[in-house]
Amino acid sequence: MIDLHRERVLAAAAALRRLVDRPLKFMEVCGTHTVSIYRSGLRALFPEGLSLISGPGCPVCVTAQEEIDSLLRLSEMKDIILATYGDMLRVPGSSTSLAEARAHGASVRVVLSAADALRLARETPNRTVVFAGVGFETTAPATAAVILQASRENVRNFAVLNLHKTVPAVLETLGADPELSLDGFLLPGHVSTILGLTPYLPLPEKHGLACVVAGFEPDQIMAGIALLVLQKKRGIPAVQSAYPEAVRPTGNRQAKRLLETVFEEADSIWRGLGKIPRSGLKLQEAFSAYDARVRFGISDLPAREPAGCRCGDVLAGRIQPFGCPLFANRCTPETPVGPCMVSSEGSCSAAYRYGRGDRF
Amino acid sequence: MKPISLSQGSGGRQSQRLVGAILEATGTKPDLPLEDCALLGEGLAMTIDGYTVSPLTFPGGHIGKLAVCGTVNDLACRGARPLFLALSIIAEEGFDENELLGYLGDAAGICSRIGLRIVTGDTKVVPKGQLDGLILTTCGIGKSTRAAPLGIPSIQEGDSLLLTGPIGLHGATIAALRYGLESEGLVSDCAPLWETIEPLLAFDGLRAMRDCTRGGLATVLCEWAEASGLGMEIDESAVLVPSPVASVCDLLGFDPFHLACEGCMLLAVSPEETRPVLEALRASRYGKDAAIIGIVTENHPGWVTLNTRFGGSRILDMPVGEILPRIC
Amino acid sequence: MCLAVPHTLVEITGPCTAIGRAGTIEVEIRTDLIENASPGDRVLVHAGFAIERLQPEEASEIEALWEEIRALSGAVQHD
Repeated sequence: MIDLHRERVLAAAAALRRLVDRPLKFMEVCGTHTVSIYRSGLRALFPEGLSLISGPGCPVCVTAQEEIDSLLRLSEMKDIILATYGDMLRVPGSSTSLAEARAHGASVRVVLSAADALRLARETPNRTVVFAGVGFETTAPATAAVILQASRENVRNFAVLNLHKTVPAVLETLGADPELSLDGFLLPGHVSTILGLTPYLPLPEKHGLACVVAGFEPDQIMAGIALLVLQKKRGIPAVQSAYPEAVRPTGNRQAKRLLETVFEEADSIWRGLGKIPRSGLKLQEAFSAYDARVRFGISDLPAREPAGCRCGDVLAGRIQPFGCPLFANRCTPETPVGPCMVSSEGSCSAAYRYGRGDRF
Repeated sequence: MKPISLSQGSGGRQSQRLVGAILEATGTKPDLPLEDCALLGEGLAMTIDGYTVSPLTFPGGHIGKLAVCGTVNDLACRGARPLFLALSIIAEEGFDENELLGYLGDAAGICSRIGLRIVTGDTKVVPKGQLDGLILTTCGIGKSTRAAPLGIPSIQEGDSLLLTGPIGLHGATIAALRYGLESEGLVSDCAPLWETIEPLLAFDGLRAMRDCTRGGLATVLCEWAEASGLGMEIDESAVLVPSPVASVCDLLGFDPFHLACEGCMLLAVSPEETRPVLEALRASRYGKDAAIIGIVTENHPGWVTLNTRFGGSRILDMPVGEILPRIC
Repeated sequence: MCLAVPHTLVEITGPCTAIGRAGTIEVEIRTDLIENASPGDRVLVHAGFAIERLQPEEASEIEALWEEIRALSGAVQHD
């Protein structure tokens, strides 16, 4: 029996071998793409000349050190239960991580959904549940929905430490970087489900970058890469979607409305890239009762990244994980120095767990 | 103060570090490489394990069954017939005595069916709040009549790697309970494998066996590769992942290769005896889905590679610490 | 950044909640982000929220793309 997905992947690999006749460098922006590519072993199928580098697509990794430290300070406060997606648990702040804080007695709970965090608040009326709102546009609408619900139902013992960032602005920064000299982007599938295709238009129009939105199955990713190469060969950079099942050109109106009701655009600090204008979200003042920074008087204190940590350079695509001197010696998944190694979607974590075989 | 983290109890590298520190602190020089069951000379084998599963019951079993099967399987891996069991019970004040007796009664039933005698035990009760319900510890002693020792040093280049059944069932069952998911048809594979293994001991070409408990199949493969200095090459399509396990993994972002199995063993077998061992497994109660999943190789010594079902390849590594659900 | 799993909506349980089925698992999901959720809808679920309906009609578009890729790969077409 022929496995359709396998057949498609191998057909795309053969097509790429014929099409790629000069060095081409694309950036995959989504951490889930990075992991899927590695786990499916697709890198072994790329032809010589095709370079796919990982970008700042891991929301946990790009959260600034000072923001992580604020999260950790909250977790250690009395009568607070810190509710978080599992992804954040082991990320190292300047002095500790949520997992370590838990070992020292902090109340930290892993939740699968923002809705679970609100439910937890209802179940524990004597404590305040603070939810770590991390993620890009795929995840922020859920946080918005839950804040609205908390507000409607007058749940007082619930707050969100907003850490949400947005993608299009950082792509322009990277796309315009002459040192990176990218040929194009493999665009995130599910962020695009929310945003649609329009926010990416400046990338081909102003910077001549090939852009394709791809799904996450290995064959969908290979199709996306093939389309990127075709755009370059035909000299017609555009924003194309190879994921029509899930992406409407105008995105998800309902989700965007929720975002606009609860959040507003803000500047945001990205690890490795510094402050990028209009690259994040902040809670509107009307919802300041649910803003953990306001409720608990938390402001991000300047933080230094660990000595020798090159996560920022990895996230910005300046170096690959193997290019970091700490990779796989001082910095490993069990003794991570920076978030790129500890996050399940961090480039370094993926390279360590799946990619060290690239050297065979 | 150096608090021990939860990750250090999860199997994989963080546990290895803690174990290493313990060996150093106690001046213990075990026979290397480390195995779950020690061979004592004169064919005697000994193993010990603590069971802290939460919840205490799950589809397919409970802590009592888990404790006995775990010890039986550790002995079986070294080719030792399980003979004697010592059982330690530590219960939290307020724990239901009937529940405890139920677990122990079932455990005793499994023992008697395979000729394993419970010879001694200890019972303690600690004040409420000092532990979560119940901890069982089982120490097993067995005897092997096999001349050629089973273990990592016997593994050779060219050996086949066989799995006795599907992977991930126990780990997925516990994860589903922990995170409030109901996966239809999901049942722990917890089972005593002595009777499945016993007929295989006659094969000289049987080199090593290990049950894929904490840390899953990936952990055993990595430990074998690292300790033997050989490479392991696995064919992803040959590894059976049941749909209820795949569904849990999809939803939580887990890797089935990292999930515990409590009724599944990895075997290394010489090329000449691979077929007969496979047939013997498939004729047994718990080995019906046995399959050849890979080969031991001189390539990439110390590493495990996976030929993916999409025609690509990558390395396979152990999980790091507690396996956590992810949304990113 | 976006692990999402297709689910089929089995039952609508409230204005913003439904039971969704993915493989062998049925789980409560939130429908705040999609309009007019109905049983039988196939949706993508991320972090407990349905983020979009999946459109099967697009399958022909995808198949056309794969025909182009296969042609470019030089693969021999079997009937």
